[in-house]
Amino acid sequence: MKHPFYLIYGVLLLGVLGLAEYGGLPFLGVTPNEVKNVPKTVRDNPGAYRSIYGGYYSHYVGGK
Amino acid sequence: MTPASSATRIPGSTVKGLNCPNCGAAMQIRGFEHTLTVVCPQCLSILDAKDPNLQVLQKFNAKTVMTLLIPLGSRGLWHGTVYEVIGFQQRTPQEGGALYSWGEYLLFNPYKGFRYFTEYNGHWNDVRTLRALPQPGFAIGAKPHMQFAGTTYTHFSTAQAVTSYVLGEFPWQIRRGETVAAKDYIAPPKILSSESTTSETVWSIGEYVSGAEIWQAFKLPGAPPKPAGVYLNQPGRSVELWGVYGKFLLIAFALLMTGYLFSSNEEVFRQRYSFGGAGAQAESSFVTPVFELKGRNTNVEISTKTDLANNWTYFNYALINQDTGQAYDFGREVSYYSGRDSDGSWTEGSAGDTATLPNIPAGHYYLRVEPEMAANSRSLDYEISVQRDVPRSSWFWLIAILLAIPPLWMTFRKFSFEGQRWRESDYAPADSSSGGDD
Repeated sequence: MKHPFYLIYGVLLLGVLGLAEYGGLPFLGVTPNEVKNVPKTVRDNPGAYRSIYGGYYSHYVGGK
Repeated sequence: MTPASSATRIPGSTVKGLNCPNCGAAMQIRGFEHTLTVVCPQCLSILDAKDPNLQVLQKFNAKTVMTLLIPLGSRGLWHGTVYEVIGFQQRTPQEGGALYSWGEYLLFNPYKGFRYFTEYNGHWNDVRTLRALPQPGFAIGAKPHMQFAGTTYTHFSTAQAVTSYVLGEFPWQIRRGETVAAKDYIAPPKILSSESTTSETVWSIGEYVSGAEIWQAFKLPGAPPKPAGVYLNQPGRSVELWGVYGKFLLIAFALLMTGYLFSSNEEVFRQRYSFGGAGAQAESSFVTPVFELKGRNTNVEISTKTDLANNWTYFNYALINQDTGQAYDFGREVSYYSGRDSDGSWTEGSAGDTATLPNIPAGHYYLRVEPEMAANSRSLDYEISVQRDVPRSSWFWLIAILLAIPPLWMTFRKFSFEGQRWRESDYAPADSSSGGDD
C-alpha cells in the first residue's frame, strides 16, 4: 500500500459524505431551528405562531 | 590525527609497510599492485607507489589535514562485497570555489575492483566507472541527452573540476591541481558522469544513496551529516496520488448515479399564492394543506418561485409535523434586481430559491408561511413546491475538491522540488540565484 494515509482519507470522505447524502446531514443543506411541541392551533391561527428564526436572521430587514 | 590513523580503521588491513621519503612517516598500501600513487598521511606528499624508493611526485605546501567523514581503512559490506576505503580526493569547480567542493572516497575490493562514494553537502552517491560507452540520445529542447542501459539521462551541468586535496592511494597518477571537464547527466536517482582530460574520457554511473546506509554498512560512529538543499540526482517526490484520486472519483460518481437512480424525488406539494398589493390582509401568515412525507429520514426540498422585479421579499417558513408538533423553522430571502448602465445590462440575485432541509422523518406535515416585503410594493405572485428525497450532486463536488487537496499539494511539492534541483544546473532560470543550495 503506497499511500495508506490518502486511502484512509479518501475512504473516510466517501463514507462520511456518502452517508451525509443518504441520510441528509446538516452540513449539506439548510440548518433549520427545531421547535418541539408546536400547538395544533397553529393551523387555525397561523399568526399566533412566531418562528424562532435562524441565528443569522433574527428578523429580516434587508432589501434595497 | 590524520584520517588514516583513525581508530575506526580496521587493524590488519595493511598490506605493505613503507616510509615516506619526504618526512619518514610510516605508510600503508592497501591496493596491492593496483596502486599507482600514494599520499603520505603526514606530509601529504604524493608518492610513486611503483617506485621501490617511493619517489616523491608532488609535495604539498599547505599542512591542513582534512578530517574525512569516512576514515581511510574503513571497511564495510556494500552490495554483498567487503570494500575498504583506500583513497579520498576533494574536487572543486573552477568557478564557484571551495564552497562547491565535493569529496570522492575510493573503495577497493581485490576481486571486485574500485567504486566511489561521492559526497556533497550530506548527499551521497554510489559510483562506479563504466566499461561501455553511453550513446547520445534524442534531445527534446535545449538539454542534451545520453542513453545508457535503456535509461535516458538529461544533461544537468558541465564544469571544470580541479583536484584540490588528496589522501590515501589511487590506481592512477593523481596530482593536486589536476583539472578535468566534468559533465553530469541525470535520471534521478541515477547520474551519468563523464570526466575528460586532453588524453581520455572516463564515464561513470552513480546512484543516490542515503548517508545512513553508508554509515550502517561501514559501521561508522555517529550520524551522517544532514543533507542540505536538493541534490542534482536526489529522487523526487512521488505524485502517484492522481491515480488513486481518479479511482475514488469513479467510486463517488457511481454512488452519485446510484443516488439518482434510487431516490424517490417525489413532489408532495405545489401551490400558487399572492402577497401584498391593494386589499392585502394585515396578517400575512398562513398554512398550507397537509402533505405526507414518506420513507426513511431524508431530505426535503422547498422551492419558491416568484415574479419579483427590482424588489426583495423574505419568507419565514416553518415545516411543521402535524402528528408530533415538531417544527423546522427557517427563513429565505429572495431578491432580484436588473438594469442597464454604461457597462451594459446587469442583473443581481434571483427570483427563485431552493432550500434543502436534511434528515426529515416521515409524517404528515404542513408549511406555515409568512412573507415579508417592503411597504408599498406591488403584489407578488409566487409558487411553493415541496419535493421529498431529492438526489443532489453537491456532496460529489465537495468530495472531488477535498480529495484533490493531497494530490495538488504533492504536485506543488514536486514542482517546487524540481525547481530547486534545476536552479543549480546550467539551465537555471535567469533570475535564480546561483549562490548556495539552501
